[in-house]
Amino acid sequence: MGRGIAGIRLEQVWKIYDNGYVAVADVTFEAAEGEFLVLLGPSGCGKTTLLRLVAGLETVSRGTIRIGDQVVNDVPPRDRDIAMVFQNYALYPHMTVYENMAFGLKLRRVPKAEIDRRVRAAARVLELEHLLDRRPHQLSGGQRQRVAVGRAIVREPRVFLFDEPLSNLDARLRVEMRAELARLHRELGRTMLYVTHDQVEAMTLGQRIVVLNQGRVQQIGTPLDVYHRPANRFVAGFIGNPPMNFIDGRLERLNGLRFVGEGGHVQVPLAEAEWPNIQPGQRVTLGVRPEAVIPTTPERATVQGPVETVEVLGAVAHLYVRVGQTTVVAQVDAAQCPAPEQTAYLHFDSTRIHLFDAETGQALLRLA
Amino acid sequence: MRRLLLYLILGIGLVVFAYPFVWMGIATFTPEAEIPELTLLPSRWTLDHYRLVFERLPVWRGLLNSLVVALAVTASVLVFTSMAAYALAKLHWRGRETVFSIILFTMMVPFLLLLIPLYTLVVRLGWTDSLLGLIVPFMMNATGVLILRQSFLTIPRDLIDAARIDGCGELRILFTIVWPLSVPALVTVGLLTFIGSWNEVLWPIIVVREVQWMTLPQLVALFAVGGGAEGQLGPQLAAAFLLALPIVLAYLFFQRYFIQSFATGGLKG
Repeated sequence: MGRGIAGIRLEQVWKIYDNGYVAVADVTFEAAEGEFLVLLGPSGCGKTTLLRLVAGLETVSRGTIRIGDQVVNDVPPRDRDIAMVFQNYALYPHMTVYENMAFGLKLRRVPKAEIDRRVRAAARVLELEHLLDRRPHQLSGGQRQRVAVGRAIVREPRVFLFDEPLSNLDARLRVEMRAELARLHRELGRTMLYVTHDQVEAMTLGQRIVVLNQGRVQQIGTPLDVYHRPANRFVAGFIGNPPMNFIDGRLERLNGLRFVGEGGHVQVPLAEAEWPNIQPGQRVTLGVRPEAVIPTTPERATVQGPVETVEVLGAVAHLYVRVGQTTVVAQVDAAQCPAPEQTAYLHFDSTRIHLFDAETGQALLRLA
Repeated sequence: MRRLLLYLILGIGLVVFAYPFVWMGIATFTPEAEIPELTLLPSRWTLDHYRLVFERLPVWRGLLNSLVVALAVTASVLVFTSMAAYALAKLHWRGRETVFSIILFTMMVPFLLLLIPLYTLVVRLGWTDSLLGLIVPFMMNATGVLILRQSFLTIPRDLIDAARIDGCGELRILFTIVWPLSVPALVTVGLLTFIGSWNEVLWPIIVVREVQWMTLPQLVALFAVGGGAEGQLGPQLAAAFLLALPIVLAYLFFQRYFIQSFATGGLKG
């Protein structure tokens, strides 16, 4: 313990259950020493299984997991020098807050005075000092969450694992705890592996994000990377709220290369030099985020159609516009947004559009 | 008015259930001649029946034997059934469901069927006329496994995992995390086992023939049936009353947990 920081490295890790279900398929990634790495994906994508594999609560079917320099595939959880914070907190109901935090240290035969010092220090940081004699059922959700974090901190592990720790909190508390976790990471400087399905948590907390779907890594990158340069259609659709607009269509050459979709309702000219891997006739999906859909004049409009719904969120509004058979969402200035059933004229910012192969969903390379 | 009716019905129920026991208690202090009158108020109180019982029977020795056997059986049942229940509820291993079915199946086998093989076994091991012969065959039972497994299933997986990460081995998880969270179920299994062991007459009669190793129920049964009481009702009732007393006390003490466990365990008694 207290051996400082360690990174985590997974190499071609598979988890296949006895019934043949593949929960994790060929996953490789690395969390550098002291990095805050987020595993993001929808439920059932294998992110929690991955965390449990790192914790040693599940056994790896194939591949290797390293913590620091050590291959830990066959090391039991207690010897991995990790701490984990669970979604439902998993506090021992029959122990006080103090005992909950001290339990792991006691088992490791840490001297009593040292246990006391660490528990009280953690309690001070997490503002739990006045609750040390309470039992978990006497605490609010937010307080329980703090105790769960405290239990992890006092262990001074090389690696912290978080399994959707904020998903049981209400919205306001979640924002608070998010800031708190970010602060803890700065202060402790330990490697943290954080599982969530909430993209806001991923974007705000993660130094890098591993996006997962159906047990496979979709993309690894910084939050801005995965937002602005999604590797495939899944990542593009999963990250961002409201989600990216997708329009199926093909590339045609009429006055230069252009995307034609929705039976001709959508036509977007493309600068051929920017897209080295496209050719006329190719079937593709065009993606454009709501904030790159801009209201404009009828002459300059890429698409037009009746407004179906307007969601005003204060400064901005979300505009749902019917285009052919599909709906395009635009994020616009709330002060200048058209009323429902008026015709909206929209322009796709050509520097911010994405093209995906219609078959594979892979993003098509774009220069500059 | 409805309330009154309710109390009336409950009152009748109480009398029906309690009267025989209360009468028995009083009858043990009633002169022999008055007992058949089923009176609750004898003309005078007497300790003669108890005197006779204590003269004829090694009551204290029997009580000690019974206590040792019942406590040893209960303790080992709690330890071993909870280990089995934990493995069945919280660990994953090949064949788990099959093993559980086999354990359930043993509940269907009547004890009388096992009597002769068990007896042969105990004779072979040289445990006749010893407390070992009374204890060892009952150190584990399927009902206990079933009740505890149901209770352990309600403990969240994350709690067990948190303990594993905190540094517990499986046995420590069982006894420091799972046990404190399963007190009602443990009390239930403990009481059922204790009462079952305490009341067992058939098996001791088969295995034990020396008076010094006899349990209290065995002594009382032999006393009542075997003519030791000379056909008198009073001493028979007094012996039976002595026998029931510890169970009643234990139940009064633990009844809170007992009812709680049946209420929450999804098991109707």
